[in-house]
Amino acid sequence: MVSRVRAELRKLLGLPTARVGLVLGTLTAPAIVLLNAPYTRRAIAAGTLTDTSDLGLRDLGVGLIGPMVLGVIAVSSEYTSTSQHAPGARQLTATLTAVPDRLRLLVAKTAALVLVVAAQAAVAATATLGLTQVLHGDHVPVPAPARVAGAILYWTLTALLAYAITLITRNGIVPLTLLVINSTVVSVSYLLTKITDLASYLPDIVGAQMFIRDADFPVEIAPLTAGLVMTAWVAVLLAIGAVLFQRRDA
Amino acid sequence: MITVDRVSKTRSRTRILHDVTFEARPGRVTGFLGPNGAGKTSTLRILLGLDRPESGAALICGRPYRKLDRPLTTIGALLDGSGAHRARTARAHLRWVAASNGLPDSRADEVLEIVGLTGDARKRAGRFSLGMSRRLGLATALLGDPEVLVLDEPVNGLDPVGIRWMREFLRNSAAQGRTVLLSSHLMSELAEIADDVIVIDKGRIVARGSLAEVTGDHRTLEDAFFALTATEAVRPW
Repeated sequence: MVSRVRAELRKLLGLPTARVGLVLGTLTAPAIVLLNAPYTRRAIAAGTLTDTSDLGLRDLGVGLIGPMVLGVIAVSSEYTSTSQHAPGARQLTATLTAVPDRLRLLVAKTAALVLVVAAQAAVAATATLGLTQVLHGDHVPVPAPARVAGAILYWTLTALLAYAITLITRNGIVPLTLLVINSTVVSVSYLLTKITDLASYLPDIVGAQMFIRDADFPVEIAPLTAGLVMTAWVAVLLAIGAVLFQRRDA
Repeated sequence: MITVDRVSKTRSRTRILHDVTFEARPGRVTGFLGPNGAGKTSTLRILLGLDRPESGAALICGRPYRKLDRPLTTIGALLDGSGAHRARTARAHLRWVAASNGLPDSRADEVLEIVGLTGDARKRAGRFSLGMSRRLGLATALLGDPEVLVLDEPVNGLDPVGIRWMREFLRNSAAQGRTVLLSSHLMSELAEIADDVIVIDKGRIVARGSLAEVTGDHRTLEDAFFALTATEAVRPW
C-alpha cells in the first residue's frame, strides 16, 4: 500500500502541469490579499466593509484552480497519448501492468491526491490568513480553527470532485474547462441559485458554507451539514467513476 | 509459463477472439504470428489484465494477471509505445514504476544500462524516437527481473542494429530459462528467433507447435502461414 501511494505521489508531482497547479493554487490567494490590501484598508476605514470575519477566507477561493488542476491531471495524464508514433499508447498501460488491481490502484491514487491537496490547502490557508492578519489584524478577527479546517476540506473535496469527473470522462479538457469557468468567469451554479433554492445544494455552493458565513447564500446551511452534503456529492461521483474504471477495458 | 485457455472476446458486436488456446513455456521463445487485426494485441491485452475476456482465462504461472502481487517481479510486458508520459524523463518514469512494485530506485539506472539508454536518462519521453521508446518500454518490462516476458511487435520501429540486439536479448532471456512470448506480423523475423509458433488468423488459432512442426512441408514459415490462413499472396494494389 505504502509503495503504491509513493509511486502515485511521484507520478503526480513529476508532471509539469501538476507543478503549475501546485504553485498557482498555493500563491494566488496570498497574492490577491497583497494586491487588494490598499483597497481593503480604504474600505475598512470608510466603513463600507463592516463584517470582516470572512476576509482572507473568502480570498482563498481564487486558489481553487490548484486543486482543480491537480484533481484533473491525476487522472487525465493516464489517458493522454504518450507519443506521436503510437497514438493509442497511454501511461495507463504502464500503470495497470504495474498495479493490476484497479481498486487498490484507485485507493493509492486518491490517497496521493488527498495528501498533496490537503498540504497545499494548509499552506495556502496559512499564508492567506496569516497575511490578512499582518495587513489588517486590527480589524479582522483570527478565524476559528474549525473554519480553517472547513476551508482545507473544501479544497480537498474540490480536487476529488475534479478527479471523479475526469475518471468518468477519461479526458481532462472538458472537466477542467467547465470547473475553471464555473469557479472564475461565470459561476453557473451560483446563477442557478437565483432560479432555484435547490442549487444551493450543488457541491461548490454548499461546500463554501463550511467556512464562509455572510455571503448572500439564498439558503443558509450549517457548516457541518454543508460538509456532509459536499462529501456525499464527491462520494457518489467517486463511486460511479470507480465502477466505470473497474469495468471498462483499459 | 503462460496458459491461455479458450479465451473469447467480442467488441462492438463483432467476435474478435474465438476460443483462443495456447501455451508459452519456460526456456523457449514463443512467436505469436498473425496478420494485422488478427487478434494478437487483443489476446495480449487480455493476458495482461488490461481488457477482460468474455469467456475463458489467461494465466501467468497459474494465476490471472489481476491477482498478481508485485506483478513486475513475475512478468514484464512491452506494448505499443513506452508507457511513459511525454513530460516525464526516462528515469522518472522508471522510478515511479519501480516504486509501485517496491523495487529500489537503483533498478531504473540498471535497466537503462541494459537497453542502452543510460545517456538519455534525463531526456523527456516525448522527445524519444520510436526506437528509443521501444527500448524504454523494454527497460520498464525488465525492472522486476521477471521470469516471463510478453512483447507486442518488439522489433517495430527498430533499426537493423536494434533488431539484432532485440533478437539476441530475447534468445538469451529464453536461454536463461525465461518464458518469452512475442507477437509479430513479420514472418521471417519470427522464423529467426522463435522455438515455438502460434498462428492466429481472424481471431482463431490456426496452428501451434514447434517452428518445424508449424512450417511442416512448406519451404518457409511464410509459405506455411499463407497455406494455413488460406490467404492468397496477392498483390495488394
